[in-house]
Amino acid sequence: MRPATLGLRFAILAAFAVFFAAPVLWLVLAPTKADHALVTSSPFSFGSFHQLALAWKHLNAFSDHIYRRWIGNSLYYALSATAITLAVGVPAGYGLAFGRFRGRKLILSSTLVVMIIPGAALVLPIFLELNAMHLLGRSLSVILPFAFFPFGVYLAYIYYSTALPPGLLDAARVDGCTEAQAFVRVALPLAKPIVALVFFFSFVADWNNFFLPLTVLADSSQYPIQVGLSDLLSSTPSFNPAQGGGGQSVNIFRPELALATLLAIVPVAIVFLLSQRALVRGLVGGAVKE
Amino acid sequence: MAKVEFDDVSKVYDDGTGAVDRLDLEVDDGEFMVLVGPSGCGKTTALRMVAGLEEISGGIVRIGERVVNDLTPKNRDIAMVFQSYALYPHLSVRDNIAFPLKIARLARDEVRRRVDGAAAVLDLEPYLQRKPRALSGGQRQRVAMGRAIVREPKAFLMDEPLSNLDAKLRVQMRADIKKLQTDLGVTTIYVTHDQVEAMTMGDRVAVMRKGRLQQVAAPEELYEKPVNVFVAGFIGSPAMNVLQARIEGGAAVVGDARLPVPRLAAYEGRDVLLGIRPESFEDASLASAEHPRLRGHVELREALGSEVLVHFSTAGRIAATDDLLELADDLGDDRAAARATLVGRFSPKTRVREGETIEVALDPDALHFFEPSTGVTIAPR
Repeated sequence: MRPATLGLRFAILAAFAVFFAAPVLWLVLAPTKADHALVTSSPFSFGSFHQLALAWKHLNAFSDHIYRRWIGNSLYYALSATAITLAVGVPAGYGLAFGRFRGRKLILSSTLVVMIIPGAALVLPIFLELNAMHLLGRSLSVILPFAFFPFGVYLAYIYYSTALPPGLLDAARVDGCTEAQAFVRVALPLAKPIVALVFFFSFVADWNNFFLPLTVLADSSQYPIQVGLSDLLSSTPSFNPAQGGGGQSVNIFRPELALATLLAIVPVAIVFLLSQRALVRGLVGGAVKE
Repeated sequence: MAKVEFDDVSKVYDDGTGAVDRLDLEVDDGEFMVLVGPSGCGKTTALRMVAGLEEISGGIVRIGERVVNDLTPKNRDIAMVFQSYALYPHLSVRDNIAFPLKIARLARDEVRRRVDGAAAVLDLEPYLQRKPRALSGGQRQRVAMGRAIVREPKAFLMDEPLSNLDAKLRVQMRADIKKLQTDLGVTTIYVTHDQVEAMTMGDRVAVMRKGRLQQVAAPEELYEKPVNVFVAGFIGSPAMNVLQARIEGGAAVVGDARLPVPRLAAYEGRDVLLGIRPESFEDASLASAEHPRLRGHVELREALGSEVLVHFSTAGRIAATDDLLELADDLGDDRAAARATLVGRFSPKTRVREGETIEVALDPDALHFFEPSTGVTIAPR
């Protein structure tokens, strides 16, 4: 390849990389600076660790440690819902892949249809339903709707119908397994990659969901982090002048907000790291002659 | 151990396809029965009905004295070896072999004793800790065998267990499996499409075609006394040559040759199919002077050392009935039926060369005759 062509390619790639990386870099650096320095100093300069510690102190102190509580709430909602999703979705996908029962195609296509309905579109009817069940304002009002995750069912279905040789299940049956044993002892252990994938997608979707908890939860102490962040946003004088700003007890400015946002990403990053190791492992190798 | 019995068994799939049609077959206690036939003949379906992996549409399957039609595979006390081996990839070799025993909740010591015993018989001891993906094809196959024998089941069901191995290993495993079965004395139903496996392994061989049983017999009988042209053509390699012939004046007329056939007086003036095994042909210069002759043109000569396969054309017409076309199709040779050559298995002393016109002698006592419309053997020897 000619150097000029190579150079052009590099330039294009670099331009796009910078375009997307710049905001991330800015966000990472923001908590290290004082609020006024954010607008006066160079956008990509590092402030000081002292400022970072100060930002954490302010954030932590906000409304009696409520930030930590929000993170805890988010973990509780997302993990509970994901546990239900896995317990239901993986067997459901298995059943759809290997079961031969009336209505199988109907269930499969409904799963697909429901999968493409945006979650926000269902918030109002879900709200009415939760209201009728007197669940509004309780953790279940978030966990139950979160646990409904047709994409997970579909992923499990695709995995089982393409990656698990039906001969293995026949072997398990002949070896004396009941249908339940065949699932638990053969199909489930082989589904580690898909369990990891469903866990990841479900957790991230639940973690990032904003609209549903905003609608069904009334008390800010119950908020998950995403709703909490918006609460925080409205306490920041730069975004909400009614808050007044300096001199008041609330010390939430833009650096604190940036830190809160950054910390909210950490659990998702950890879940990603944990699940991606299981994702890449090809478990079915050697089962049957390739 | 037990006998296995198919009593008027049929299988029709939901879409109306018939796979097995009124199969009657009794596999004796301790017998090695081979089900053989071309793809789609219903042999695997029949086996899976014994295993309980396929619902039985009609008739009765018995294992021992027990009717098993409505029993789940778990309750049939049979072990199966699959074509794909179907090893559990997440379990070690030891755990794969132990799997059925653990499911049956045998005591730990007993499980260990049996797995070690099977591993010793199958030379798997060095591999017990490995996962299936770290094994060669032959080793995987032996693990699959191990998983079957530890069960000490009433019957073994084997579904083309050697078809994924290379030719050399297949010959070895053929002998190993046969010996193992003889030693254990467990009733075995073995499905294959390979007639060499069928002939070398089976105490008896059941030939199936399009869901119907054609003939059940010991290998030699199947070879020497096939009941119809399909069985005759399926068993034997190279396949039997089948020609159009006409019975005239006590002789079968094939092209310009007349072969004396005193037995077929009833067919005087009618067409028949004439079957000749390759070994019934011989280079005329090496054969008895009394044997009748055909004139042939050598198209291809394949020297195999112990024998020479000579492909030659004659004035006689090669028969092309449905049965024969299906057989050719199964061999993946769609030209076979249309091709006008016969195959002879000559002595290595033959001097015939490609392109020559030669005299081919044939053994008059080794001719097979079939009814042209039905393919049924006539005047069996």
